[in-house]
Amino acid sequence: MEKKSIINGKTIFGIILAIPVVLFVAGVLSAQIPWFSEKPPLEFNSDMDNQFKAKTQQGTSFFADRATSRPPVEGTVPREGSKYKLQMNEVASADSLYKNTLVKNDFVLARGKNRFNTFCLPCHGADGKGQGKVVQKGFAPPPSLVVQKASDYTDSKIFHIISAGQGVMPKYADKLSEVDRWAVVHYIRSIQEKNGLKPNSNQQLALSTSTKGE
Amino acid sequence: MYFSKKLENQIKLGGLLVAAAVGCLFLTGYFGFNNRVADKGYRPEQPVPFSHKLHAGELEISCMYCHTGVEQSSHSPVPSTSTCMNCHSVVKSDSPKIKLVKESYENNTPIEWKRIHYLPGYAHFNHSRHIRAMIDCASCHGQVETMGVVHQENRLSMGWCLDCHRNPEQYIVPARPISGIFTGVDPMNAVNKETGKYKLAVSKPITSPQFGQYETEIPKTIVEGIPTPKHAGFGPENCSACHH
Repeated sequence: MEKKSIINGKTIFGIILAIPVVLFVAGVLSAQIPWFSEKPPLEFNSDMDNQFKAKTQQGTSFFADRATSRPPVEGTVPREGSKYKLQMNEVASADSLYKNTLVKNDFVLARGKNRFNTFCLPCHGADGKGQGKVVQKGFAPPPSLVVQKASDYTDSKIFHIISAGQGVMPKYADKLSEVDRWAVVHYIRSIQEKNGLKPNSNQQLALSTSTKGE
Repeated sequence: MYFSKKLENQIKLGGLLVAAAVGCLFLTGYFGFNNRVADKGYRPEQPVPFSHKLHAGELEISCMYCHTGVEQSSHSPVPSTSTCMNCHSVVKSDSPKIKLVKESYENNTPIEWKRIHYLPGYAHFNHSRHIRAMIDCASCHGQVETMGVVHQENRLSMGWCLDCHRNPEQYIVPARPISGIFTGVDPMNAVNKETGKYKLAVSKPITSPQFGQYETEIPKTIVEGIPTPKHAGFGPENCSACHH
């Protein structure tokens, strides 16, 4: 009886078929080939990956409401800057409470432009005329920043509008620090100047560039 | 015929068993010790079908509008629903997709988003250090503004982190305008004008022989309260940089 070799045509065919499959599996497992999955990744050896500690914005069984981010204790004072004291309708007291002490320079203007482009541009548009992309999508169009009415506002009033909001515009005191808000005020003034307006600035020139330590 | 039929079958079976054992050892070694868990491509369904492609891609809202604290904090925060309501109090406020967001805002209960990027409990990553060095979000997260449903773009393994710490210029995407990263007076500050790649700072090893800790010049504070952008040099390679 003639012995049948193990390596016959069928086996070679099978091996040739198996090579791409093996390569694909190896590629996916080593994350060289992206494999989209809704299932959480497998862990073969989790070691100390999941420790019993509170991670930011992650659920925890330690607190009854499962939130790791706890609200500050009543009376907490922020370490930098201070909480904005006025409500949306208290525009009148802004002039006396908040004065622009940030000295304008190129760096401050660049920061103002960066913050403006991040937080204001979606609605107000890059030119400040109120035709941002979000407005085109259906948000109420904001009034133009480069008209006489807006340039007649004092720095403090613009600061108040950024901090506490106006109309449908929400407050941005939680997103922009106090210095950043003054930098945005400076940048808005610079756009107004570019449009040939003379802003009514009530800037108090101070020796210090800091607004800290009120 | 060298072996009997029985012996031949036993050899075949033994061979298979050895191959399976080697395969198992390889898999365990690969995942257990190389820390290359295949979480790349993890794309869970979120409770609210939020599209980064629409918000960041089409509407060109900066990453930092929602992920605001990333410049100050080690954690890049998922926005509270009050941020969503900044616009959605007016835009599409009746849409059934917004319903959950509205409920969360009114009842003061957070939405339980599914976390995609997950580091093990013993590894620490600081977002603000990287953001202030003008390293774009896309360096690690990929181009999120093109993703309808966000997936994990990179492995986030230790080897992957070290690749970039050792060859930063090769991997870093310089800050793009969409991210909202502050680059100082010159908007192209993060880019090396000659190569078009990330502009690397000069960094010297602290010790000799070097053990992976570098000294990079830190720019002076220009205005108090505004973070001064800096250029990254080589990233630290010593263990306690991330495992502290």
